Amino acid sequence: MSENVVVIGGGPAGIEASRRLRDLGYTPILIEKEPVLGGHLARWDRLFPDGVEAHTVLDPMLQDLDGIKYFTDTTISSINRLKDTWVVKLSNGLSAQVRAILLSTGFDLFKAEKKEEYGYGIYERVITNAELEDWFKAGAAPQFDGVHTIGFVHCVGSRDEKAGNRQCSKVCCVTAVKQACEFKEKYPEVTVYCFYMDLRMFGRKFEDLYLKAQKEHGVRFVRGRVSEVSEDIDGHLFVKAEDTLFGKPLKIKMDMLVLMCGMAPADGTSELARMVSIPVGEDGFLVPASIVGAPCVAPRDGIFFAGTSTGPKTIPETLGEASAAALAIDRYLKTPARR
Amino acid sequence: MKERILAAYDPFVLPFVFGITFVIGYCLLALFKVLVQLSPADRRKFALSLITPSAILKNLRDLFCDCLLHVKLWKRNKVLGYMHSSIAFGWFMIIVIGHIETVLYIPERLHKLYYPIFFRFFMEEQKQTLQGSFFFFLMDFFLLIILSGITLAIIKRFRSRIVGMRRTTKLTLTDLIGLYSLWAIFPLRWIAEGFTAGVAGGSFMTIPINWILHNFMSKPENITVAWWAYSLALGTFMTVLPFTRYMHIPAEILLIPMRNAGLPVRHTRKGFTLAMLYSCPSCGVCIDACPMGVQKKNVQDATVYMVRNLKRRNQQRSLEIAEKCLMCGKCASLCQVQMDACGIRLAYRTAQEKKNNRLPADFSYLNAIAPQQVGEEKVLYYAGCMSSLTPVISRSVQQVLQAAGVPFELMDRDGSICCGRPLLLAGRRDEAQQLIEKNRQLIEKSGAQILLVSCAICYRIFKEQYELIGVEVVHYTEYFNRLIAAGRLSLKNSHETLVYHDPCDLGRGCGIYDAPRQALAAVGQLVPALKEREESVCCGGSVGSLTLRYEDREPITRGSIENLTANNPEQIVTACPLCLKTFGRFAPVPVRDFAEMLVLNLETNKNDTK
Amino acid sequence: MIDFGYGLTPSATLRIENVQNPLFEELHRREPDVVKCISCGSCTASCSAGCFTEMSLRRVILSLQRGREKEILPMLQHCMLCGKCQLVCPRGINTRHLILSIGKVYGLADQKEEVRP
Repeated sequence: MSENVVVIGGGPAGIEASRRLRDLGYTPILIEKEPVLGGHLARWDRLFPDGVEAHTVLDPMLQDLDGIKYFTDTTISSINRLKDTWVVKLSNGLSAQVRAILLSTGFDLFKAEKKEEYGYGIYERVITNAELEDWFKAGAAPQFDGVHTIGFVHCVGSRDEKAGNRQCSKVCCVTAVKQACEFKEKYPEVTVYCFYMDLRMFGRKFEDLYLKAQKEHGVRFVRGRVSEVSEDIDGHLFVKAEDTLFGKPLKIKMDMLVLMCGMAPADGTSELARMVSIPVGEDGFLVPASIVGAPCVAPRDGIFFAGTSTGPKTIPETLGEASAAALAIDRYLKTPARR
Repeated sequence: MKERILAAYDPFVLPFVFGITFVIGYCLLALFKVLVQLSPADRRKFALSLITPSAILKNLRDLFCDCLLHVKLWKRNKVLGYMHSSIAFGWFMIIVIGHIETVLYIPERLHKLYYPIFFRFFMEEQKQTLQGSFFFFLMDFFLLIILSGITLAIIKRFRSRIVGMRRTTKLTLTDLIGLYSLWAIFPLRWIAEGFTAGVAGGSFMTIPINWILHNFMSKPENITVAWWAYSLALGTFMTVLPFTRYMHIPAEILLIPMRNAGLPVRHTRKGFTLAMLYSCPSCGVCIDACPMGVQKKNVQDATVYMVRNLKRRNQQRSLEIAEKCLMCGKCASLCQVQMDACGIRLAYRTAQEKKNNRLPADFSYLNAIAPQQVGEEKVLYYAGCMSSLTPVISRSVQQVLQAAGVPFELMDRDGSICCGRPLLLAGRRDEAQQLIEKNRQLIEKSGAQILLVSCAICYRIFKEQYELIGVEVVHYTEYFNRLIAAGRLSLKNSHETLVYHDPCDLGRGCGIYDAPRQALAAVGQLVPALKEREESVCCGGSVGSLTLRYEDREPITRGSIENLTANNPEQIVTACPLCLKTFGRFAPVPVRDFAEMLVLNLETNKNDTK
Repeated sequence: MIDFGYGLTPSATLRIENVQNPLFEELHRREPDVVKCISCGSCTASCSAGCFTEMSLRRVILSLQRGREKEILPMLQHCMLCGKCQLVCPRGINTRHLILSIGKVYGLADQKEEVRP
């Protein structure tokens, strides 16, 4: 009988790592707190940089779960150390004794209502990037009449001490540009603004997407962080920012505003970290043994990481790290105990 | 024995005579200094209050209640109250009774300063004084009371938690000399009077001592030694008194009538402020009161240490302390001598800005702003600068007004002129005055009769500095509470548990505690915070602090939230945009604005704010 | 070398390599936050005085860093110290203290600072 490995979090990282572990001859026990596997990827419509549909990435993974025991709607009740093993108790009453645990707990989208000055939850026409993705996925038009101007606000809950997130969320810049392009493809007559602090187009083809947004779609990029949003009687929004390159403040009337919510540490992560006695960084993400040399390995025997539990990452980075984590677990389990 | 009674003098009285002469002389000089430093107008005001019968009565009552009985301290902490009033009142009574005895039996000796104090040494129990057994009893009774107070004081010094104080003041060397000599005075007096009780008479305290002493060391020389020790303790205490915290004992006698005369703080260490500095008893209540105290490094910035640095003319530290303070006013509201801690800091900041700001303000651009015509039937609503960052407040206020059918107009739809309080708090008084002037023009010319304000910071300066003619300034908590009382708002009670946070400027600043609570009781179930009302803990976001860094504000906010959530409320409600924003960052439960809370529970609105 | 007059004129270039800036050092000592700015412009956009004037704190900070204070000091005179910029700043800069400190370190009038009030 093959050895069990517990994988906590059934997003892309957890699924991919489970598949790799299975290929290496282990029996992964994959635990997901939501009713379905797939994490945020299951909600997303299309992916940057080339606009592939998210389900074309996720579906093959979900169809390949043979040999993986997975539990949805399940959380971790407790984890205890017993000699060189971990005893993991699940909320469904089951428990497992394993030598290795993979924490692929992912991220939470930053709660936009925390940036109250943007009026999310107060103004109807302020939505989040995830809600826009829902619309795209449903194929539904924006529910508001007469949308002529929309704005994307970058760095909502990213690079923001006041929001408690100092880190850059890495993916929002390119997501905003992707969504801006998609919006223009659907509604070419709408004027689209992107309010950014720095455009971090770091990945392959990201810059191409940026160029496309400028050249083909005429997306208007304004270098300035939105400071406040007000609303008139008809529900139109007034967005205030400074065009820092021009050096003058702006006040633009908008029909819709999309907040690019960044990645915040997932809710239960610190609790799990406490259960297995590993440190949580100042930013709330998990801390690997070496952020450069051993990003998948925790500073504690038998605990491994994959994906955004250790900080914002793109999908390909997450999948790559999941494979790397599976290999790291394999090597750990095959190395005879030193004690 | 006879000779000491006849001579009515013994060298041991000299330390006491020196001490009392010194302390009286010093206090007279200090009094003179304070009076000279007052501005002529303030001096007139003060003099006038001293001859106004109602003010005299109030002064006497306050002197009796505050200096002798420590009524304020009793209300706060019974143990500390007893400790202070036992010593103060007991000592006062002993002095008074000593004088009464002298007046009754040897009036011709009254002119000798020391005589009533060392009465027992110079007296023989005779037929004439036998009638004084009543006084003997009183003397011993008050001595017992004082000794019990001293015992508490000793316990407090070493175990301050027993009397409910987390932190207590770090004393200086002179303070310690004063403290130990004060502690020594009464036990020594007990022993000294015990020695002479056989001759001079005594009661339940002194007679047993006399019996013990008589049996073990009845040599007459020892009598003088004991009285020398007693006099030395007294003399030491009085000589160091002006340089210790015990200066508050004489200083308060001056401070109380000055405060009752309504004098303002005008200077950082002169005049009225000097009287205040002298009056600080260094009790350290302000240390535990200060919300910044959650970080140990800020303990040194408590008001008691500001006073100490001001007294020592340590300008650098005084400035740091003055600029760091949140100006929440909690220490002042708990202070036993009602030290105007914020006023002194403000005076410091103002002096500093006047001297050193080389960038004079230019608000000429405000001239272009013309007043809106609102009309008297409408309420003029001033949301304030901060509220544009908390849209939920201005939106909810408008929704409530609409629900109640109150016609209104927004004063600052297109950008507001600041109310001036942030400038005032930064020490730029004249600049603030320019904004006040402009806003006053705009408000008065609008024709509105009611100015509705939803920001606690704005509200305070509108109340304190604006003197608007024909316009009533009202905070939205008061106004909405009125609307509820008048039946103009139909609300449902969600029965959720709420905790209300008193914003500093609204509560301690303007005394509004009940209106928001009454209104909130209509929509939910109020649970108390650990400390509230006058003792509410600043959210940490205050514009009052100039130098406190963002990362150092977080612990204050967390401390305040801890205080609020002690009884596990489901929501935190506040009535100030700054508190709302500050709490929102770290609170574990939803933080709501007061108006938002009402909107959420409007009968007609069915829980829909969108 | 003959100067044909086609070079960049000194006024047209920003000579940051030559900035000797004891004043900025002093400002930095008083308010270390001055170097934390990422020029996002939130402060300028939300500025109460900015509704009516040219006031831009972002430009102020940048100009000070570049040693070009003369251009921006007058706009600081419009500041009402309302503190909105402090609330919106993503870096948590203590903007009010920064502005107060600039008034003392730089300043228009020729006047010496005293610590004594």
